[in-house]
Amino acid sequence: MHANKDEYYIPNGSYWPIIGSVGMAALLGGFASSLHDNPLGTGIMVFGLCLVIFMVFGWMGQVVHESEQGIYNKQVDRSFRMGMGWFIFSEVMFFAAFFGALWYARNLSVPWLAGEGNNLFTGQYLWPEFKSVWPLLQMPDAANFQVPKGIVHAWEIPALNTLCLLLSGATLTWAHWALLNNNRTQLIAGLVATIALGIIFLSLQVAEYAEAYQHLDLKLTSGIYGSTFFMLTGFHGLHVTLGTLMLIVILMRVIRGHFNPENHFGFEGVAWYWHFVDVVWLGLFIFVYWL
Amino acid sequence: MKYVIVIFFIFILYSLGSALFYMMKDGDGSKRMVKALTMRVGLSVVLFLVLIFAFWMGWIEPTGVTRQ
Repeated sequence: MHANKDEYYIPNGSYWPIIGSVGMAALLGGFASSLHDNPLGTGIMVFGLCLVIFMVFGWMGQVVHESEQGIYNKQVDRSFRMGMGWFIFSEVMFFAAFFGALWYARNLSVPWLAGEGNNLFTGQYLWPEFKSVWPLLQMPDAANFQVPKGIVHAWEIPALNTLCLLLSGATLTWAHWALLNNNRTQLIAGLVATIALGIIFLSLQVAEYAEAYQHLDLKLTSGIYGSTFFMLTGFHGLHVTLGTLMLIVILMRVIRGHFNPENHFGFEGVAWYWHFVDVVWLGLFIFVYWL
Repeated sequence: MKYVIVIFFIFILYSLGSALFYMMKDGDGSKRMVKALTMRVGLSVVLFLVLIFAFWMGWIEPTGVTRQ
């Protein structure tokens, strides 16, 4: 019986999954312990993080090496695409939860506190002075919650950041076309420009957070506005950081001569991820700062 | 104006989603994915310009305060 080489693939035994599992368990266990003021918590967390980073570099490096040796068949290519699909699904759900929280707070729970819907008595008896206005700069229970003095204006750093990410989407697409047309110089230039724009975005974001904390008193603890603002923009910033690191890895692979117009799923996956992060920012810019 | 912006955003999501679909379905030789992504970048730039224009015209104001 003759088996088709593209039908089935059995990978070699690997120790990376167990290293990754131990790393993740230590990372999360350490984090949970540090929240309970366990003196060892932070140390365990950092150890777990180092182990996870070591696993990512080791495991992904091995995959890149095997891919470059040409030992992967079409079945492996399909499983990479499926893996990327599930990863993206989890990312979409992750951000949907935070956007959902923002929508729920703005349109349902805050108006309820002011007596909207069938909550007339809540407003009348608990907080008769409270009016539902978004952004929430006046709290129903002002004695127990700190209020921000102001919010970040859309027309300042956020608009600049939007411009940065829009440009980075354009430079990455320029690089993508270059890859398909086998133009390596343009591909490298496009990737370098995208990475630079990502780093500029992150620096501006740090400046915005400093402004929010130092001058506006807008903090993670500033009521539901502060929580949703920092959860959304903070996790988005984390994704830009990861996306920038992924692009740097792709750039190094391109410089080493990896990828060609027929075989470049690694590039495609990272490029799509970057576009996704870009669109999430656009959603943030529209729904947090404008509408 | 709000609805125009939201509809624009839905088109952007659609082009991003179709790029994902092509990435999952097509092999690496296909150009459908990069074309969808080019569309998504173009639409995003237009949306940003629409926001600037609408702000300049006084149709929208930041953080939910719409002029009556």
